[in-house]
Amino acid sequence: MKALFNIKKWWLLTLFAGLILLFILFTRQKKVDYSADVKPILNKKCITCHGGVRRKGGFSVLFRNEALAKTESGKFAIIPGDPDHSEMIRRITTKDPEDRMPYKHEPLSTAEINILKKWIKEGAPWGEHWAYVPVKQVEVPKLKGKLFGLLPASKPDWIRNNIDYFIYDKLQHENLQPSPEADKATLLRRVSLDLTGLPAPQKLADQFLHDQSSHAYETLVDSLLASPHYGERWASMWLDLARYADTKGYERDDSRSIWRYRDWLIHAFNDDKPYDQFITEQIAGDLLPNPTDAQYVATAFHRNTMTNDEGGTDNEEFRTAAVLDRVNTTWEAIMGTTFACVQCHSHPYDPFHHEEYYKFMAFFNDTRDEDTYADYPLLRHFSSDDNKKLKTVTDWVEKYGAPDESGKIRTFLKTWQPAINSLLADQFVNSELADTKWLIFRNHAVARLKNVDLNNKNFLIYRYIGFVKGSEWDIHLDRPDGPVWKKVRNIDTTSDWKIKSLELSPMSGVHDVYFTYYNPNLRKPTDDGIQFDWFYFTQAFPGSGKPGYEEAYKDFQTLLQKELPTTPIMMDNPADMHRKSYVFERGNWLVKGDSVEPDVPHSLNPLPAGAPRNRLGLAMWLVNKQNPLTSRTIVNRMWEQIFGTGLAETLEDLGTQGIAPTHQKLLDYLSWQFMNEDGWSIKKLLKEIVMSATYRQDSKVSAESLAKDPFNKLLSRGARVRLSAEQVRDQALAISGLLSEKMYGPSVMPYQPKGIWLSPWNGSDWKESKGEDGYRRALYTYWKRTAPYPAMITFDEAAREVCTARRIRTNTPLQALVTLNDENYIEAARNFAYKMENQAGQDPKEEIRRGYEMALHQPITNSKLEVIYRLYQQAYAKLKNDRDKICEMIGFMDEHNNPKTAAMVVVANAMLNLDEMITKN
Amino acid sequence: MTQKEIHNKRLLKEANERALQLVTRRHFLKESAMGFGALAIGSLLGGCHFGSSNGVNSTLFDPAHPLAPKLPMFPGRAKSVIYLHMAGAPSQLELFDYKPALMKLDGQDCPQSLLEGKRFAFIRGVPKMLAPQANFKQRGQCGAWVSDHLPHFSTIVDEVSFLKSVTTDQFNHAPAQLLVHTGSPRLGRPSMGSWVTYGLGTENQNLPGFVVLTSGGKFPDAGKSVWGSGFLPSVYQGVQCRSEGDPVLFIKDPAGMDRDLRKASIDAINEVNKKEYEEYRDPEILSRISQYEMAYRMQISVPDVMNINDEPQYIHDMYGTQPNKACFANNILLARKLVEKGVRFVQLFDWGWDSHGSDANLAIDVGFINKCRQVDKSITALILDLKQRGLLEETLVVWGGEFGRTPMQENREGKQNPFKGRDHHTEAFTIWMAGGGIKKGASYGETDEIGYASIGGKVTPFDIQATILNQLGFNHEKFTYQFQGRPFRLTDVSGEVIREILA
Repeated sequence: MKALFNIKKWWLLTLFAGLILLFILFTRQKKVDYSADVKPILNKKCITCHGGVRRKGGFSVLFRNEALAKTESGKFAIIPGDPDHSEMIRRITTKDPEDRMPYKHEPLSTAEINILKKWIKEGAPWGEHWAYVPVKQVEVPKLKGKLFGLLPASKPDWIRNNIDYFIYDKLQHENLQPSPEADKATLLRRVSLDLTGLPAPQKLADQFLHDQSSHAYETLVDSLLASPHYGERWASMWLDLARYADTKGYERDDSRSIWRYRDWLIHAFNDDKPYDQFITEQIAGDLLPNPTDAQYVATAFHRNTMTNDEGGTDNEEFRTAAVLDRVNTTWEAIMGTTFACVQCHSHPYDPFHHEEYYKFMAFFNDTRDEDTYADYPLLRHFSSDDNKKLKTVTDWVEKYGAPDESGKIRTFLKTWQPAINSLLADQFVNSELADTKWLIFRNHAVARLKNVDLNNKNFLIYRYIGFVKGSEWDIHLDRPDGPVWKKVRNIDTTSDWKIKSLELSPMSGVHDVYFTYYNPNLRKPTDDGIQFDWFYFTQAFPGSGKPGYEEAYKDFQTLLQKELPTTPIMMDNPADMHRKSYVFERGNWLVKGDSVEPDVPHSLNPLPAGAPRNRLGLAMWLVNKQNPLTSRTIVNRMWEQIFGTGLAETLEDLGTQGIAPTHQKLLDYLSWQFMNEDGWSIKKLLKEIVMSATYRQDSKVSAESLAKDPFNKLLSRGARVRLSAEQVRDQALAISGLLSEKMYGPSVMPYQPKGIWLSPWNGSDWKESKGEDGYRRALYTYWKRTAPYPAMITFDEAAREVCTARRIRTNTPLQALVTLNDENYIEAARNFAYKMENQAGQDPKEEIRRGYEMALHQPITNSKLEVIYRLYQQAYAKLKNDRDKICEMIGFMDEHNNPKTAAMVVVANAMLNLDEMITKN
Repeated sequence: MTQKEIHNKRLLKEANERALQLVTRRHFLKESAMGFGALAIGSLLGGCHFGSSNGVNSTLFDPAHPLAPKLPMFPGRAKSVIYLHMAGAPSQLELFDYKPALMKLDGQDCPQSLLEGKRFAFIRGVPKMLAPQANFKQRGQCGAWVSDHLPHFSTIVDEVSFLKSVTTDQFNHAPAQLLVHTGSPRLGRPSMGSWVTYGLGTENQNLPGFVVLTSGGKFPDAGKSVWGSGFLPSVYQGVQCRSEGDPVLFIKDPAGMDRDLRKASIDAINEVNKKEYEEYRDPEILSRISQYEMAYRMQISVPDVMNINDEPQYIHDMYGTQPNKACFANNILLARKLVEKGVRFVQLFDWGWDSHGSDANLAIDVGFINKCRQVDKSITALILDLKQRGLLEETLVVWGGEFGRTPMQENREGKQNPFKGRDHHTEAFTIWMAGGGIKKGASYGETDEIGYASIGGKVTPFDIQATILNQLGFNHEKFTYQFQGRPFRLTDVSGEVIREILA
């Protein structure tokens, strides 16, 4: 009885508890989430008229303080806690069509109205967009246990690391199962292409396929991460972001030697340079203490902007265009945010004000580059011999010069900076900027350099071409007929640019410097006498009269004059050349508004304490752990590179207009770990990704997963993605054995059809590279902006005119034509055929079998083998009696010139075109 | 069912249907070899919507069938466009903008009022005025003034509408050309032809939808960017058809491979791919199979359409073609053939119109006259030929340069040029349009007495773009593409349809 009572009591208790639980469940209403529920309605229905550019009726929903302010009508649109008196609610619910909002558009649905009412009732809290909130540590999701979570969860065998918990959690939610691990061969090819951009070398492949140990895969991953090809593959990705090209762009589109930046990237990735340092050096390497050459070269990141060499162009206009491009690229590449809109108006959707764009631009606006033909400032690359001389010179200056002089001389010798570019001259009389590039004097010429700081200056170094003997060049101060500072005579005529030095009497103050010019040997008023590139007012080389002076000065002159390879770099103006920054009204650079100082948008993290207000401070801000965007952007990008789609699909825009991430918590988890545990190591991040079970899944598509997850956004299967433009080429070369392993150096010109380059006003030519340079990896291919390499552009390579955050993959017949017919691929097919013969003897079937294995690491199925063998038979039958065709197919009269090999070339060409070859399974 | 489930179900159904089609089309190559065009692949597959995860925020982009024919926003008057760009900018003052007053001013110093605050590409200091270097007459029923440089064109002025007051804000070739074709003077935006193929797809699946032909020995100054796809998927970039080498890059089978062998190899590739599909069930494989089929057919249809030798002799005479040469007349005949075959946008660039006077070829009184001769006959033939084929009504023909030329004689860097020439001029120039629902024998816009500036009916490249899109059935303000977080359009934030010249 007692027992019975007890059971009854238990029953009652359970019932009671259950009722309470139900009550709680049904009465506890979820609060409205601003970002998830409210913001989408505002963005879709309100913001076009009430936000950013337009604020009809004085109402804007862009920022909370604006939305809660009194509108033009004197009413408050939103009164927190009081929807019934909020004008907004009245206007969206009224029946009067003239009054009802959205004006002349579909009314809001009842559900939408209720959300807005409830939100106001709850106090109209403003939420922050997920991507603008600093990254916090995220807990790995707990697996749901069985029986409504009453039983503890057991870890499924599928899960390998923390990434998988996030993926599994979501799959469970959608009632989907993950796919099993792909077979070893598939995995081998996949991870090798992903990490190095190339198929695995045969030796490594064999090692892995025969390694039965449990850590075989990890060993493989570690080898691939340590391969020098790793750096090439990831540099290739970064080149799109850096809008790297080997030409300057615009009409002339002349060559630019900036490949050392590409090599810097390869080294940086191979060395696993921590990402915070990687960014810092690219944004502000020149501002680091005693920058190395490599750190200077890193800043070429932002010298990949275009330069306009066309005559008649306004250099300031294109300098400005380059600076704007640096701003937009910094945001898009490093912070996954579209900032360009703010150039013209406050962002209608994201929390950035118009003037904030120009404050941000001010970080970049005070640089030395001025759209010059030579792309100044340049880093001059010294040989080790030159460096010895440099040491002698700087030691000398250290000893005899003013305290800060040796650093200045060092910088000057390494960069010829900070010289005054002659294109800054004005007030021309019988003089002008030749081709709007260089100051040129005719007879009786006058020109001015404005506001030159001449304090303590007693020396002038200038770069010039002297056309005609007899030049008489006078330097006046403040007026064309002002006091003569120097009369320059006996100026050599030169056939090319030359650098000369001049002693001057000591000067002080800031002056307008006027040049006058006369030459009795100039016959016609239109004859040119002399042309200048730049002027550098400085102090005389110190230590004159001291023993050893002659030698030191000679070394100084040798280094100064020497023709050297160069790379464009970033460098700031010295204080006396400071360039002010202004707001451009509605984005028009000619209409300058208020002046601004460098700053970051108020809605994100502030500049870190102690950060200088220059690019270095900016870099510190970018890589500060409070910056919500930097780590998320790179993690999302690396994910996209591996899986084909980012966790947030719109790599270029994590803002409110971008597509929301599928696994935001995972993105945050990885971003936090990347910064806080893995020391910004890209290799660690990649390893974590490729070690996951998520990554290792089979990519076969089941009917269920196609139905529930057609785009594989939930990752219920492995990613199956077409190879990139670079990979398509590199793989064909690798499989056929043609690939050159040579790394670094100037860009190369592999075969391309004739007539691709026909630029007016530009004599440059595609000179096909000889020897192994014709078979280098795709990233070394010379990239001309106005005529990019056709085979790669067809496979969606970015044109690199501007920063490209994401390539859109297409699938077109023109791509088929490239891999079927391009001479590069025919040559690859020939060599692949020879390789097959070489490895498998004279049995065509065996050759195909072997070739397939060499390419894809796995045995060919019989049915596929039959199809390909049939092609061989058809080709052989066709070719066996056709000497001409055989010759054409092989190309040479050599041992391969026979019908069997020719038929194998046809087979190899087909094999290189298989979907499984072009695609990463 | 939720929206998502309905959507997924549809995708699954389509995947199954396509798998089925695949089986029934097993011997497609045999069929297509027998009767070209019999297999309307566009209509067979055009309805499929296999998005991949590219996530372009647009309903118009279907990565599996990016070129499937699509309907415009409203029925357009034109089906295709032939845009004739005289790269370098021809002089309006020697062709269409008759300025007798300028005759009287010849050799006089240019008044300061015309120079103050202006920038020119090469003119420095005070240049001299230069009289029109041509004789003008009124032509046709409409009485349009056309100079003697264009005797053939003078006979068809009643078919065209002149825009005499076009202005631009770019005075250098590359940015001005980019503005005309991409709506922005900077690199990076899609060209007009890309927008059109993105919006309309292509009618003939065996030919590219947007074809570019160049003559004059050079590319336009802005290079391939004037037919680039900018931020649109690369499939929409213009395909350059060349008169030397392969008509389309890589269209020719490699040496030693005849058609049968190519057919056999594509058959084999696709058969292996089908097996791959059976194993992986990735719809992208099906798409690749159809791209290889299409590539095979393009290999026949492109050289076929690019071969003008089969045209009858009277057509050759009419156009003034030159056999086996890369010339404008051949290109213009090709343009007619291409639109006839359903190509949407044919873009011609003819280089050599930059008449500065710096040498004889670039002289307004020498080289320019030769250039006029080179194009006059063929342009006239194009209009007449399209008309006799009943194609003019649905083909919009546009002729023009990237800017105009100054009423002043150029004095490069302050010096007199050796030949007569004019500098780049942004404030007024002439473009004409014909066919595709454009008024016949009309003129819009006027310039002042010396042809320096507009005094009415001013239009910009944006207005011309808006008009072209309008004739094709697109509202240029609504025809957008989402990029970098905002919708972009060809006309950026400007442009109005020039209703005055619409029929």
